[in-house]
Amino acid sequence: MTNQAQERATRLAALPFQTSEPVGARHIGAFFRSIKEIYEHRELLGLLVRRELKAKYKDSSLGFLWTLIKPITMLLIYFVAIGQFLGAARGIPEFAIFVFSGLTLWGLFSEIVSTGTGSIVSNAGLIKKVYLPREIFPLAAAGSALFNFAIQFAVLLIATVVTLQIPWSTSIAYVPIGVLIAFIYGVALALLLSALNVYLRDIQYLVEVGMLLFFWASPIVYSWSYVVDAAQRTGLTWLSEVYLWNPITLAMLAFQKGMWVAGSRDNVMGQDASGADIVVPAQPWPADLDLRLLIAGVIGLVLIWVCQRVFSRLQGNFAQEI
Amino acid sequence: MTISNAPESPVVIKVNDVSKRFVIRKDKSLKERIVNFGRSNKHKDDFWALRDVGFDIQAGTTVGLLGANGSGKSTLLKVIGGIIQPNSGSVERRGRLAALLELGAGFHPDLTGRENVFLNGSILGLSRKQTEEYFDSIVEFSEIEEFIDTQVKFYSSGMYVRLAFAIAVHVDPDVLLVDEVLAVGDERFQEKCMDKIREFQQEGRTIVLVSHSSAQVEELCSRAVVLAHGNVIYDGDTEGGIAALRASFGA
Repeated sequence: MTNQAQERATRLAALPFQTSEPVGARHIGAFFRSIKEIYEHRELLGLLVRRELKAKYKDSSLGFLWTLIKPITMLLIYFVAIGQFLGAARGIPEFAIFVFSGLTLWGLFSEIVSTGTGSIVSNAGLIKKVYLPREIFPLAAAGSALFNFAIQFAVLLIATVVTLQIPWSTSIAYVPIGVLIAFIYGVALALLLSALNVYLRDIQYLVEVGMLLFFWASPIVYSWSYVVDAAQRTGLTWLSEVYLWNPITLAMLAFQKGMWVAGSRDNVMGQDASGADIVVPAQPWPADLDLRLLIAGVIGLVLIWVCQRVFSRLQGNFAQEI
Repeated sequence: MTISNAPESPVVIKVNDVSKRFVIRKDKSLKERIVNFGRSNKHKDDFWALRDVGFDIQAGTTVGLLGANGSGKSTLLKVIGGIIQPNSGSVERRGRLAALLELGAGFHPDLTGRENVFLNGSILGLSRKQTEEYFDSIVEFSEIEEFIDTQVKFYSSGMYVRLAFAIAVHVDPDVLLVDEVLAVGDERFQEKCMDKIREFQQEGRTIVLVSHSSAQVEELCSRAVVLAHGNVIYDGDTEGGIAALRASFGA
């Protein structure tokens, strides 16, 4: 036996055994062990995020511009069709800023969930051949979504400067909170759905439908005040309460409260036939928004824990089910 | 089998009564599952890919896993590698483990060779710094210097596999799991791979090899484990292993 071999043998003899056992343990320690394992693979996570970003637009001549073309097209569509034709812009001051901030945060959430859902299946080649903590695939999808969000967010900031709607107030603190909540729920859903999608491919189509539903169930192209008005008009005030249970609604409200300053003050929106000013009052932000955000955040963290546990129970059979 | 506890050969892999059952569902979509609900057993097939398999592997040995097609050897290799979890039993292992189960599994066709070296190195457990250190040596081993900045989708299959093999052998594993991948590239490159494997053996690395080539097993392995229908039917020296393998074809 060579020296090198001897050294290796002594080193190996001192190492503890790592065990792989049938079913993932259920207690809380297993969750933190997974977190630790993911943390140890953070370099790989970074590389996977870059791979996603690089490979996505690799052979297109416009490249990263495409990440902006889609949301700007959506902005134009909603601005013209909903804002001007349907007249939502008459009741929502600085409608362009409003819609674009909604679309930006929505883009983050929907991209995490929809690309995250397919992430395990689309990395089948790796999962079947190499052991890695599989959570990094949905997380890499979340990472690349975060990058695209950052670009859109920069455009949004520039737009607020150009239109002199600079979001410089204490409400700016709501922006990271809104982003965080959208991110937490996005990651939790991506973990759960990516694992389920391995066993039931229908999930990815279900996600498309679910996303459509979530989009219109959140104040993105219409404002919160419309929901309050509709609830009062019909006398179904509990409906606006139910509407607020949607965590994406809460994230959206927090984000808009920070980014869309025109929503927090009374605005004069032209004059009526008699020459009197038409005043659109400030958004009736829910009084206990802070508390609701806190609760949504805590529930979101618990949800991540639950989804990760489900994920780790399901991942044992990924390699043969894909 | 007795386990020698001599200090020079510690056990690196313990396979404890591992069983693995595969369930094959024939209905994949939700519609089919609902339609077939309650009769689902008819649409399920299950079989035991591994049944109470248990053995230990000492450091520095080269073990060949033999068996007919479908005998469970690749499954066993995947269980050892942690890619598949067993239904019962457990696998204990220590040291850095690298799996050459399929070369280039982590390659992304749209990225260049250089980008893929970093990505694949990271997948196999190298840090960025280590990959940078080994980079020149990896490229040299693969012999594709001029194409390293070309997207790998333009590579020939030989170039692809050579680059992948070059990365894998630079990972510095204590335990190397090899599944039928040694027959890569042209004859000269195959020879180079074999030399590398022998060098690995010299350095005291443990190699677990799945192969259909008796000649290869005879040449490289110091021990053979023969599987048939998910059971170990032979465990011992290579000549006996090859004889047991031939006998199992007849049975």
